[in-house]
Amino acid sequence: MSAKSVEGLPASMRGLALLAIVALSGTPFVHHLSASPPSQSHGKQAQANEASATCGTCHVAVVRNYSAAPMRHAMEPDGANSELIAHPDLKTTIGLYTYRVTTKGGHTTYSVTDGSNTISTPIEWIFGQKTQTWVLEKDGRFYESLVSYYPRDNTLDVTPDDANIKPSTLLEAMGRPVSTAEVRTCFDCHASGLVPGEKLVTAKTIPGIGCERCHEGAQQHMTDAAADNFKTIPKHLKRLDAQQVSNFCGQCHRTFDNVIRDRLHGNGTVRFQPYRLELSKCFVGNDPRISCIACHNPHQPADRVASHYDAKCLACHSSNNASSAMHSAKICPVSKSNCTTCHMPKTDIPGNHAQFTDHYIRVVKTGEDYPQ
Amino acid sequence: MTPLFPRQSTRALSVAGLLIALFFAPRSCASQQSASTFDDLASAAAAARDQQNIPVAIQLYTQAEQLNPSWQEGWWYLGVLHYSSNQFAEAIGAFNHLLELAPRAVPALALRGLCEFETGTYDDSLRDLEIAAKHGAAADPRNEQIIRFHLAQLLTRASRFQDALEQYRYFATNHINAPDLMIGISLAGMRTPSLPKAVPAAERETLEAAGKAGYTFLSGDSDRAEDLFLQLFAQNPSAPNLHFFYGMLLFAKHPELAVEQFRRELLVNPTSDEANALFAFTSVTAGHFADALEPARLAYASAPDMELAQIALGRALAETGDLKRGAELLEQVISHDPDNVEAHLGLLSIYSHTGNKEELNHEREICRRLAS
Repeated sequence: MSAKSVEGLPASMRGLALLAIVALSGTPFVHHLSASPPSQSHGKQAQANEASATCGTCHVAVVRNYSAAPMRHAMEPDGANSELIAHPDLKTTIGLYTYRVTTKGGHTTYSVTDGSNTISTPIEWIFGQKTQTWVLEKDGRFYESLVSYYPRDNTLDVTPDDANIKPSTLLEAMGRPVSTAEVRTCFDCHASGLVPGEKLVTAKTIPGIGCERCHEGAQQHMTDAAADNFKTIPKHLKRLDAQQVSNFCGQCHRTFDNVIRDRLHGNGTVRFQPYRLELSKCFVGNDPRISCIACHNPHQPADRVASHYDAKCLACHSSNNASSAMHSAKICPVSKSNCTTCHMPKTDIPGNHAQFTDHYIRVVKTGEDYPQ
Repeated sequence: MTPLFPRQSTRALSVAGLLIALFFAPRSCASQQSASTFDDLASAAAAARDQQNIPVAIQLYTQAEQLNPSWQEGWWYLGVLHYSSNQFAEAIGAFNHLLELAPRAVPALALRGLCEFETGTYDDSLRDLEIAAKHGAAADPRNEQIIRFHLAQLLTRASRFQDALEQYRYFATNHINAPDLMIGISLAGMRTPSLPKAVPAAERETLEAAGKAGYTFLSGDSDRAEDLFLQLFAQNPSAPNLHFFYGMLLFAKHPELAVEQFRRELLVNPTSDEANALFAFTSVTAGHFADALEPARLAYASAPDMELAQIALGRALAETGDLKRGAELLEQVISHDPDNVEAHLGLLSIYSHTGNKEELNHEREICRRLAS
């Protein structure tokens, strides 16, 4: 496995990859969000709901919308995942080993057997809401489950980037051992409550991306606002330019710099939307029309209908812009609707049972290789 | 556990014997000697060597070389026999003759490098061993340990600490252990340009412990390594370069944890240019540009020629608003290091923020080329 290819991601980045396979949409789950982790020993989204003073006290609509956003569900606690509840008995056999993921009474168990012996362990951390991988803990060590759940095909299959692992023991078949530092990287983009630079304490984390993770200082603001002090308002992210937004989102979705530094190649880079977007000829940091948030509201699920994005494309690629302050771009001779279907094609990653929208906006030539 | 570094005389014979297999040349030159005296001397020398009668063998080879100074095999065995007898200066002389006749005799270069190490001509030794290793002298697993260990020590002495740690990684991943090895790792990790044999007895215990922590990390057990480093920090709260050592180990895969180690190093060692530069650079790679500014300024003020300080300050300035000065510093890096990807990433970002599309596309293509 190459350390430089996405197919063989550097270990520390596998967690980040998980974020990218999180599927979209979901049922409203959290109606009020606390900005900080709970002080109790085990952080759960439910505890966040129960917090007396929350972001949702004032920012009602945003918090209500965000409760359904995929980032809010980047990780889910045991018993909270609708996919597992809907599919309570998942089973697959890979090589000599048979895997089973069973959900009963609000708890999910992951087990693997070689026919003679079986390892079973509870699933406490579900990385992803739809497509999902599990971080397991056994005898004080962390493991990344060797199989993941893929809702498109309603199946368990080998976890992304683990296809080259050929287990020779039942424990190896259960999962890939991961260091605490690596697991920390996973939690950093799937949960809230980590202290920068500090060792991971899973009990102090809250599944999913909470307000404070992006809006640094939200907790202080909440405390001060309760005392009618509005001088400590978190930084306005809307004031960032397109380049800064790309870097900001890229903290988890991977920046152009990250991909170049780590020399990542192959179809797998389609998961790294900020990098792919910045490859586009039309990307320039001082143009807000190409910013991530020009098309996506991070507090809401992404719209899956291609026509939803037409107006975003036409903000540049339209003759109506000829006289505007912002320069206009070439006008498509083929169509003025469903632009993304041609110019941002869906791309498969082998073994991933999922398609990703390639954010490298371009004129796609028939039969061309995936452009790096 | 594989025994490493046996007693010198045994080691010398062993290494020489192994390298012979790589180099052994037929006595082609000898065949041109019509005088039976030379053949007789050569045969007698070989017989003495076979009988382990080293003093006589040396005498006979010396006499034979006086008759035929272009006899490569004779110089080879003369060098090896002197090396085996700890007569390193004489061995160097023999290998010099051989390398004049056969400049590509990599095993001779390796053995001369080891002899130079013993005579204290360390710069020559580093040059020879580095070339020998590059041309495959360390490819034979039987030679690998001794060549890598000496090379690692010399790289440390030459302040090429990261290159040294890469050599030491081989021992950790292969679970090869020895006290001097731990001290060597410690010296490299703690930026001490010295040799293990020069370490005073009073300092050995602490250095061995630090080396053990580094060795454990390099072997892949980062959780155990963290425990060992935490013990070291508790026992040596004001020791310089300990946090730096751990930070450097974490840097490649876990920059978010490394930055905290560099920050703590600066509490102990506030004037360290390297710690300031690395703290700044790690903050840059994490996108925390404002945090990078002050340490980058300090590092650059103290060490304006340090490339890392130039990059960190250039990028930090540019991303916090001083695009002009940032660009100047990054251009300065590129003027002497045209393929420095960090400097190009910094310029790309500047052109993106300013909307200079032509230069942005140019830098984007350079970055893609450098990452390919």
